[in-house]
Amino acid sequence: MPENVNTTPLAAQPPVFADDNRATMVKVDHVSMIFNMASEQLNSLKEYAIALARRELRFKEFRALDDVSFEVKKGDVFGILGTNGSGKSTMLKIIAGVLEPTKGTCSIHGNIAPLIELGAGFDLELTARENIYLNGALLGYSKKFIEQHFDEIVDFAEIEKFLDMPMKNYSSGMVARIAFAIATVIVPEILIVDEVLSVGDFMFQQKCERRITQLIKEHDVTVLIVSHNNDQIERLCNKAIWIEKGHTRMLGSAKDVCRVYRVLGGHVGSAEAEEHVFNLLNEDVTVPDDLIDVIGGESRYGTATRLVEKCGFAPGGSVILAPGELASPCMAATGLSGVMDAPVLLTKPDGLPDVTAQALSQLQPHRVVVLGSEDIASERVVEDVREACGPTIEVTRVEGRTAAEIALSLYRFGQQQGHWGSTAIITYDGCTGDLISFSPYLFQKKVPVFFVASNGVVGDDTAQALQSGQFSRLLVLGGSYHVPDAFLEACEARGVRTQRVCGNSAYHANELINNLMTSGDIEGDGISIDRLIVSSVWNPFDAFAGGAYAGKTNSAFLLADPQNLDSVAHALSYIEKKEGAVRHLTFLGGDTRFNKLDRQMLGKAVVKAMRANQKDS
Amino acid sequence: MQTTRTKSDFKRNWFTMTSLVSKDFKLKYRRSVLGVLWSVLNPLLMMCVLAAVFTNVIKWGNIPNFPMYLILGNVLFALMADSTSGAMTSILDSAPLIKKVRVSKMIFPLEKVLFQLVNFAISLIAVVIVMLIFQIAPTWNLLALPLLLVFMLLFCSGLGMLLSALAVFFRDVCHLWGVVITAWTYATPLFYPIDMVPEWLQAAEVFNPMYHYVTYFRSIAMYNTMPGLQEQLICLGIALVTFVVGLLVFKASEKKFILYV
Repeated sequence: MPENVNTTPLAAQPPVFADDNRATMVKVDHVSMIFNMASEQLNSLKEYAIALARRELRFKEFRALDDVSFEVKKGDVFGILGTNGSGKSTMLKIIAGVLEPTKGTCSIHGNIAPLIELGAGFDLELTARENIYLNGALLGYSKKFIEQHFDEIVDFAEIEKFLDMPMKNYSSGMVARIAFAIATVIVPEILIVDEVLSVGDFMFQQKCERRITQLIKEHDVTVLIVSHNNDQIERLCNKAIWIEKGHTRMLGSAKDVCRVYRVLGGHVGSAEAEEHVFNLLNEDVTVPDDLIDVIGGESRYGTATRLVEKCGFAPGGSVILAPGELASPCMAATGLSGVMDAPVLLTKPDGLPDVTAQALSQLQPHRVVVLGSEDIASERVVEDVREACGPTIEVTRVEGRTAAEIALSLYRFGQQQGHWGSTAIITYDGCTGDLISFSPYLFQKKVPVFFVASNGVVGDDTAQALQSGQFSRLLVLGGSYHVPDAFLEACEARGVRTQRVCGNSAYHANELINNLMTSGDIEGDGISIDRLIVSSVWNPFDAFAGGAYAGKTNSAFLLADPQNLDSVAHALSYIEKKEGAVRHLTFLGGDTRFNKLDRQMLGKAVVKAMRANQKDS
Repeated sequence: MQTTRTKSDFKRNWFTMTSLVSKDFKLKYRRSVLGVLWSVLNPLLMMCVLAAVFTNVIKWGNIPNFPMYLILGNVLFALMADSTSGAMTSILDSAPLIKKVRVSKMIFPLEKVLFQLVNFAISLIAVVIVMLIFQIAPTWNLLALPLLLVFMLLFCSGLGMLLSALAVFFRDVCHLWGVVITAWTYATPLFYPIDMVPEWLQAAEVFNPMYHYVTYFRSIAMYNTMPGLQEQLICLGIALVTFVVGLLVFKASEKKFILYV
């Protein structure tokens, strides 16, 4: 699937700034830059002649910039945002006068520090002292000027001791310091800064930023900054432009552009999805703090313990210990968790993680059920459990080496502990997303999960268990390739109603299952939902132990990928479709999964849906 | 206003060029024991080798002061060969700079010519040494040397700019130029007397600019004669035409450099 990156302008009208009476320093007027890709590689007469004969010379064009216009006024700090390869640096090169635009004009009023990348023109064989003069000369300083400011440069770069050492012996940080010092010793009318702040250690970065801020504040220097770090742009700039694949996407105040860029920048998705997200982003909806909840630990084990803490299980009960690295046994454990009303914690195969051990010692269970044979959860895990809960703890192992084996013994173990519901699920090892979507149902309705032995093959014992008369209904996740139709027919013959649940994409299946669970369609009354647990599609293991929490809080899982606008738009429309039934959001995982803006976006959708619902009723 | 601007531009470019020349100079002799002395030793040693070969092995000609004849030709020809070769790759070599800094591109080929001129000036010491050894008295005619150097400067700059621009678009030029220089070395009477070659070749030498300049140099330094007005004009004409052609080609193509380097 080709990546769909939108390049259409987002704001229809170019914004009008109130302070337009200041002098224009840089005026970029309908600038296009076209590179001839065919002639790029023609470096010999022979190639040239061949290409000429084939009339290929003017073919492959590459538009690095397409009709970009903007103005920078005196005193502006103008940011240029965009993903890699979107034409930012080409734009700066045109402004700096290094490149000539193919079409349009770029006029500069005032002297410009002609510098794109720091340290261009350094000769590493020379000493720092010699390089300062050479680089200064290339930047257009006079000899007198350099002599006057020599000490200043050396001071700023902190290289007094190494002045007469060849620069090839310098660290790259030192080279960057000298370069920055030389470039900014002059007070230009226009300063161009291209990702320079990303070099050197953070002390030096701060120093650079201070120098730039000083130039802006004290000398009223007009600055152009290119960066894909939008925090930096937002902090330093007052105006910004977002360029994507050579097209202007948005031009406006730095704050607005950065806010939009943060949600949409570099993300793929259809134009409609983007419009949906963009419109909601611009709506002024305040999201109350208690609407959004974030549950996340440092790892999947930590997240699992947090989820269990939130459930409020009474101490002294049972705890199920599932292998955190295997999805299917974890999901199968959810049903058992419902039968026994016991929390699920995750373990590593070769020992108990510290967070899990702490959670265990707090829960003080009288019994721990360990899932899987020794190669899945080693004897070391059992030892760790005894260490955490005391030697008297009862440890039961549910044997099994494969997902199908573990699920079966888990089902049998569950029969001794309580009653399973009258619905069962059969699927294949790897259908994790669908099972996560189902997990609140698994917990609430005590649904066992079975797995096929291999694709298309249902183990005899599994078949026996399913057709024993215990179950009146069988949900099948996966196509006939995974679970053959013949087996379904056999079940029907024994009086078990079967239903295949199959979505055409992960998001579609997610919605389908959520609807299935809430409608009474499955069996009796469905479960009610007033909370959505949002989990990242790419990190499903956050949700491995979430069944109990979801079941106890009337939640459904929503799988989303914040990088994909289609997924975000899908999540938004799902919330809207629920017509205000969703009142809370829980995000699994830390800021790396969903950042604050992603959370706010979904929060806004929830608030909007609730309001719309109130108006209707 | 316009003139002051041009003047400050020139001043700026001049400073850049001298900085680059001093950089080239430092890099050339960095870490050699004899350092700048090599600029003197090199032409001297070269002269010794050639003199030994042509007076003892091949045994031709009875040119008076043959070593002097050799060193004058070689030193001047080396100025042309080294400066054009250096200028030719100057744009390509400074690609990182051209891509990032707005700087007048012409300074790169011109700087190389200037650098070789400095080298030439140093190697004149070798010429003086030879004059002392062979007891050739300098004459007032030597005062025409700056004029010759102006001709050479124009000629080499023009050729250098032409080559540097061409080399950007066709890298073949870089490989070809070495061969051309070798052929040119033999086509110019550097280590043989002009009357040794067939007559048609002697006639053809009129079209060899280096023949004119080398002859000019020998006239004023060895033969104590001042070239006539016609010869002066020919030398000036060649220099001017080459310079203008080089300048025009360079100016016409310099905006496209950045796309090809």
